[in-house]
Amino acid sequence: MSEPLDMGLRAQAAAIAAGEVDPGELLDAALARIEERNPALNAVVETFPERSREMLAAAPAGPLHGVPLVIKDEWPLPWRAQRFGAAELMTPTAPGESGPYRVLRDAGATIVGVGNMHELGAGSTGALSYYGAAHNPWDTERCPGGSSSGPAAAVAGRLVAGAVGADGLGSVRLPAAYCGLTGLKPTFGRSAMEGHHLAPITNLIVSGPLCADAGDCRLLGSVLCGEELAAGDAAAGLRIGVVRDPVSEDVTPEVAAACEEAVEALRAATGGELRELALPDLEAASLAGILIINSEAMSGATPEKLNRLSPELSPIARGTLKYAMLLPAAAVTQAQRLRTLMRRRLAALFAEVDVIAWPTVPAPAPPLDAPVVELPSGTRSADQANVRGAALANLTGIPAISMPVGLSEDGLPLALQLQGAWGADELLLDAAEALERANGRRWVDAVPPLAEASATEA
Amino acid sequence: VTESAPSDEGFIPAGLAALGIEADETDLAVMAAFHGLLWPPLAELLALDTGDVEPERCPDLSRGPRL
Repeated sequence: MSEPLDMGLRAQAAAIAAGEVDPGELLDAALARIEERNPALNAVVETFPERSREMLAAAPAGPLHGVPLVIKDEWPLPWRAQRFGAAELMTPTAPGESGPYRVLRDAGATIVGVGNMHELGAGSTGALSYYGAAHNPWDTERCPGGSSSGPAAAVAGRLVAGAVGADGLGSVRLPAAYCGLTGLKPTFGRSAMEGHHLAPITNLIVSGPLCADAGDCRLLGSVLCGEELAAGDAAAGLRIGVVRDPVSEDVTPEVAAACEEAVEALRAATGGELRELALPDLEAASLAGILIINSEAMSGATPEKLNRLSPELSPIARGTLKYAMLLPAAAVTQAQRLRTLMRRRLAALFAEVDVIAWPTVPAPAPPLDAPVVELPSGTRSADQANVRGAALANLTGIPAISMPVGLSEDGLPLALQLQGAWGADELLLDAAEALERANGRRWVDAVPPLAEASATEA
Repeated sequence: VTESAPSDEGFIPAGLAALGIEADETDLAVMAAFHGLLWPPLAELLALDTGDVEPERCPDLSRGPRL
């Protein structure tokens, strides 16, 4: 048997259930691995060994019994309030039993640490955080993606086999893409969100799993959704929609080639077909998502609060919070009208296709000290480039999945995104598994250099 | 900042003054940069004619729209 900590989530759960792995030893191994590798990754911002051991001691026999996991700094735990990667939030937080905590606990999982995140969830790189930047295990000088930077870096670095992230404008899928993982953004409202400080008002944010492959995302996603995301053959004869638009064409040649190859492999593996689609106003839709999430995030903000922001907030956070206060209400109203329009267009398109495919990110992870990407259209900030392909799923509520489909010349992961109709989360997982089989699991089994030593030794 | 963006030297200080929000030079530089990125597409969004889009009443994002 390989080193238990280097096994996937399903394998860890199965080995514990079979009595082949002692969950106490696995927890100790995870804590030791965090101590060993986290200085290079800054993926985990807090551990609490006694709390973790208490969770394990009380763990029921569930699908994740004894499996150590990381949860993003976006939900409270009974012993810790979320910080949202920031020195200060616009709304108060307190320790408590959040929805994700409850479902993990009831599934028998052990929360071993809290994952780092981009400050206030407001970035796709992970370069900014109250706790300092998280680092990409594929190249620690590179961005791990965000805003679920820590959960992604923790799984890719093999600190744990699964982590819970949150996706408001791509925040599960984008770090999954940068870190060579599979990340599922469930249909809006399907996964546990209680306790998130924006849960009562958000129409965009969902919790979602980050794991090595789709099968592990199915397991952790089922726990988060409180229902089995059953495997099936829904991907047979898959009708794949492709959109000729900057989201699929203003990407680096490596990304374009890897995604085209993956789409063709998926079509062939499922006996499916490709259909070209028109989906206008995608750029405007991404802005609509930004405007709506800004309006949600400003809930509770007042001029007085903005005048006494913590000096520990980054200058970018301070400036953008103040700017967000100036955005015209008419723009948010227009964004909501565009949301309606895009939802209707998607409903019509999903009568013709089962999934819509395009690259998750237009370029591989940029350097942490210069998070910009070179695209055919020119140089863009990674945030500006990444939101373009990510926002539609949040704006409209549909599920989406990112999966690794190659490595760049620099050895950095490349990723494809599939989006499906409302409630088609299972179909997306089926399709991702079909693609894994088609490419011999080459990319989901790829291990970053930082984690190679232990995987090889095993 | 493109030509379609209102000058940040007017829009931002005026907005801050109207709301009574204080800003130092760093805040203003960040806001100007964000404004330069956001305002041109925001102006395009505002110009988009969605007058014939019948609003979705209390949309349930977990489901498709009622057509």
